[in-house]
Amino acid sequence: MHIVDGALSAPVIVVGSAITVAGIGLGLRQMPMEKIPAAGVLSATFFCASLVHMSIGPSSVHLIINGLAGLVLGWAAFPALFVALLLQAIFFGFGGLTVIGVNTADIAVPAVIVYYLCRPGIVGSSPRVAAIWGGVGGALSIALTTGCVALALSFSGEEFIPAAKLVFFAHIPIMAIEAVLTAAAVYLIRRVKPELFGALATPLDAARPLGVQKS
Amino acid sequence: MKKTFTALLVALPLAFAGSLPALAHKVVAGAYASGDHIEGEIGFSDGTMAKNQPIEVRSEDGTKIGETRTNEDGTFTFKPTKKMVYIFHADMGGGHIANIRMEAADLPVAFASDAAAPASAPATPNAPAEPAKAAAPAASATRMSESERDLLLQAVSNEIKPLRKEIIALKEKDSLQSILGGLGYIAGLFGLWFFLAARRRGSN
Repeated sequence: MHIVDGALSAPVIVVGSAITVAGIGLGLRQMPMEKIPAAGVLSATFFCASLVHMSIGPSSVHLIINGLAGLVLGWAAFPALFVALLLQAIFFGFGGLTVIGVNTADIAVPAVIVYYLCRPGIVGSSPRVAAIWGGVGGALSIALTTGCVALALSFSGEEFIPAAKLVFFAHIPIMAIEAVLTAAAVYLIRRVKPELFGALATPLDAARPLGVQKS
Repeated sequence: MKKTFTALLVALPLAFAGSLPALAHKVVAGAYASGDHIEGEIGFSDGTMAKNQPIEVRSEDGTKIGETRTNEDGTFTFKPTKKMVYIFHADMGGGHIANIRMEAADLPVAFASDAAAPASAPATPNAPAEPAKAAAPAASATRMSESERDLLLQAVSNEIKPLRKEIIALKEKDSLQSILGGLGYIAGLFGLWFFLAARRRGSN
């Protein structure tokens, strides 16, 4: 899922970087202090999850877990995923430094979309229903990510439909795995630490009562 | 309860980190001189090779000068025609691109000496006898080994091939150290963010 240096045209890189900068700004601003450790953990999860590979056809795909990051973090998924991608580019040479903006946008935009689409279902329902919404979010975020990647490639000269097909079909197993993983994670969080989903409902105001509640 | 959850959150990334061998999501490609042609291979860093992959051969300024294709095992061959920089470009789709740059100096030995021969040839007839004498044994030596040279090159290239593969594999290995280092950076960066956020709140 990491697009490499040199695969994209300059306008795509500029647009992707602009989206990422805006997203990081929003994420840093909207983040209540209590969520920062969670952002760190999800960043670390993404960092490691990308090392779990499966080879399918001519390509090889890996776990992404951006659905869970989006569901828990909302806009803060941008800084969390950006940090992980930056370190992956430096340590492992995944993607590259010039395309990091596009790569971040490719995975963080779906995370934010999933946050808006599936979050209400997770917050206001029983853990079981929340798990189903989590599964939907996990699969949807991957599907959207493949769409974003295909879009970025299509603006750089590749045909959209074949590129999208290639990336999408390669990621169907990942969608299934991440749906199960995200559903399990959401179920666990709802049972064990429901505040993690409750606190961000209205980010800045909800943070304080939570802190009072704890102490 | 809270402790269990924290432990689980910590365990989650560590569990992934532990699931080695971790494989990079990267295109691995290389080209080298072999006999009188250029041999190369293209694959992914998880060990799968790019089969039947069309490759465009380009010159330094990006103009297309030829094309080749990988075999079932991801290797390709190309016979150079001129002493110049060759760039092998393969687009495997899905954002995977391989660009192998081969410097003129790295071209096949036979080829490099062919290119050098015309340069030295005009000099020999005009030159006095002394250098010619010196050149003659060398020339005869190369002519004698001409038949053996191919065998020699073949043998050397066969010897080096596994080493080359091993070095590529070694380069692509994500060591546990760098994974743990990355996790450390993440912990540090988010700790810093936490610190700044706490200080901002404290000042409010």
